[in-house]
Amino acid sequence: MKMRPGGELATRPLEFIWLADCSISMKTSGKIDALNDAIRKSIPFMREVAYENPNAQVYVRAIKFSSGAAWHIESRTPVESFEWSDLVVDGVTDLGAALLMLKEALKVSEMSERALPPVVVLISDGQPTDDYKTALASLMEEPWAVKAVKIAIAIGKSANKRILKEFCGDNGIDVLSADNAETLVEYIKWVSTVVLQAASSPASQAEQANTMGINVSIPVIDDDDDLLETISVEDVW
Amino acid sequence: MHRSFKDRQRVILKDGTVLTIVKFLGSGGQGEVYEVATPQARLALKWYFVQTGTDKQKNTIKKLVSTGKPDERYLWPIALAEVHGKKSFGYLMPLRPPQFSNIVDLMKRRIEPSFDAVVTACIQLADSFHKLHEKALCYRDISFGNFFFHGRTGDILICDNDNVTHTAIQDAGVLGTPRFMAPEIVRGDIKPNIQSDLFSLSVLIFYMLMMHHPLEGKQEASIKCFDLPAMTKLYGEQPIFIFDPLNRSNRPLPGYHDNALAFWPIYTEKVRQTFIKTFTQGLRMPSVRPSEKIWRDILIDLKNSIVVCDCGMENFYDIDKLKQGVLNKCWACGSLLKPASRIKIENEVIVLNMGTKLYGHHLNKYEKYKFKHILAEVIPHPIQRDMMGLKNLSRQTWNIKTKTGKSYAIDFGKSFTIEDGTVVDFGETSGQIRKG
Repeated sequence: MKMRPGGELATRPLEFIWLADCSISMKTSGKIDALNDAIRKSIPFMREVAYENPNAQVYVRAIKFSSGAAWHIESRTPVESFEWSDLVVDGVTDLGAALLMLKEALKVSEMSERALPPVVVLISDGQPTDDYKTALASLMEEPWAVKAVKIAIAIGKSANKRILKEFCGDNGIDVLSADNAETLVEYIKWVSTVVLQAASSPASQAEQANTMGINVSIPVIDDDDDLLETISVEDVW
Repeated sequence: MHRSFKDRQRVILKDGTVLTIVKFLGSGGQGEVYEVATPQARLALKWYFVQTGTDKQKNTIKKLVSTGKPDERYLWPIALAEVHGKKSFGYLMPLRPPQFSNIVDLMKRRIEPSFDAVVTACIQLADSFHKLHEKALCYRDISFGNFFFHGRTGDILICDNDNVTHTAIQDAGVLGTPRFMAPEIVRGDIKPNIQSDLFSLSVLIFYMLMMHHPLEGKQEASIKCFDLPAMTKLYGEQPIFIFDPLNRSNRPLPGYHDNALAFWPIYTEKVRQTFIKTFTQGLRMPSVRPSEKIWRDILIDLKNSIVVCDCGMENFYDIDKLKQGVLNKCWACGSLLKPASRIKIENEVIVLNMGTKLYGHHLNKYEKYKFKHILAEVIPHPIQRDMMGLKNLSRQTWNIKTKTGKSYAIDFGKSFTIEDGTVVDFGETSGQIRKG
């Protein structure tokens, strides 16, 4: 029985978007199976973090890219009911197409009026096969894209880490390199728990942490304060 | 990212203590926590990550172990834990009993405690922080994650005490948790100290009573992306209390901040004024922030003032309002609260509802601020169930004198009818009953 008035603590939505490479090369050495397995395994941990978080309502979506890009899970799904369906491989690595699709999702008109910084996790094993640079520049015209916490996971040695780093920007977090299934599971778990938590309900701040120039403080990893010229992550809007 | 210990692993500490890892309980920014079994007891083991297990942290733990806990509510470090061959270290502390919930459960309404339990928890928080600060120790990192709460009794437990050091220590390693940090800490003007602890304590009390943050009003609603720069502005650079009587620019907005609007009018004027002082003058002048002792007294008054409406819901009886001949409306059914029976014991007025308990705090001057021992309880008359009596649950025989001048002795287990004008000699203290 309700013994006091009101409801639960007010929350803001947090969008968590997977950006997954489904090119044919992801079939080599069972990479796509490892990725499907890793994301599926991370869901209970993600739910746990969301359960313990009083400030956020977490929604999860997924974009897949190979020859072109498409929504793998289009609807904003509350993490409590989020289920992962297996990705299947075909085609090339059209990262640019995925970034343009992400841009559409992060447009001010598409996002909640008030939200927490979105978290976007890009996972790829190769080289982009389309004009990712123009697409990335276009993506970064969107204020929510600038504010988003962008993390990249490189699978295997053929992944182009320089390009993945361009996507991440200067958030102080290096591209995560997963050379085996176990590491991939650990990284996927880290982004879906630690990064999710940091973006929604920042934990205790260490004295030595330098939070200048960043909008989300990710634990343990140092930051950099290089800012974009047009839209700054330090802007409050 | 791999765990430091496996379930059922046997661990021998450098001091010879043998532990068995029972299970992994969780991890945070600094390390991992395990449930462990020793031959004597089940305990919790916090184990630092290599990068956070510094020599400075180790010295802090050693000092905390030798200082000892400020009171029973602290899950305080019992012993340093070092293992041969492991780079890092940890410490042992008491395990949280299972009946205690996280404060997040309270905030998410997964538990639905009474007002009495919530206010009791706030009293205990103020009391425990008073005891900590009395030792010139500073907590530095008050947040939801560092407390546990018993939903029925309101008892609290305080964990994560490994950042506690002397208030004068400037490089304790932690600044606090966003949303709870004092503005001067958010801005980076100074390092955490007892005054900033007081601010964080007030934020936590506000959260528990109002289910809302004291600075999140119109300003917060206007922020689209709520990230660290936004938090720095809201909590550090331009903090404005949502109920600042002079600056109305940051009022809570319906639809966004409904809890603040629903809870604020329910409490007594003293509580409101204390929050106003904390979050107006106290935002800029740490020295004027109400102390834990002031909070404790005001919250005890609040607990004493709980009145149960005929609809069954708890409300707060504003004695100051009653003196002006006005009584507030029930938050649940909207009907005007009726004048309640109450007893004045020394400077405190306690409303007497069916089931109200009087504790050592009320009746024994040697148990001031202690709410453990129930020494009296309001019970229904065995036949006339709507008639209230006060039952003696203490070892002391009470002597009462009614308005008509008759005297009676009330032994342990006996009760007397609550009537206007009756004076009760409880032994250590005395009280007078008022009705209407």
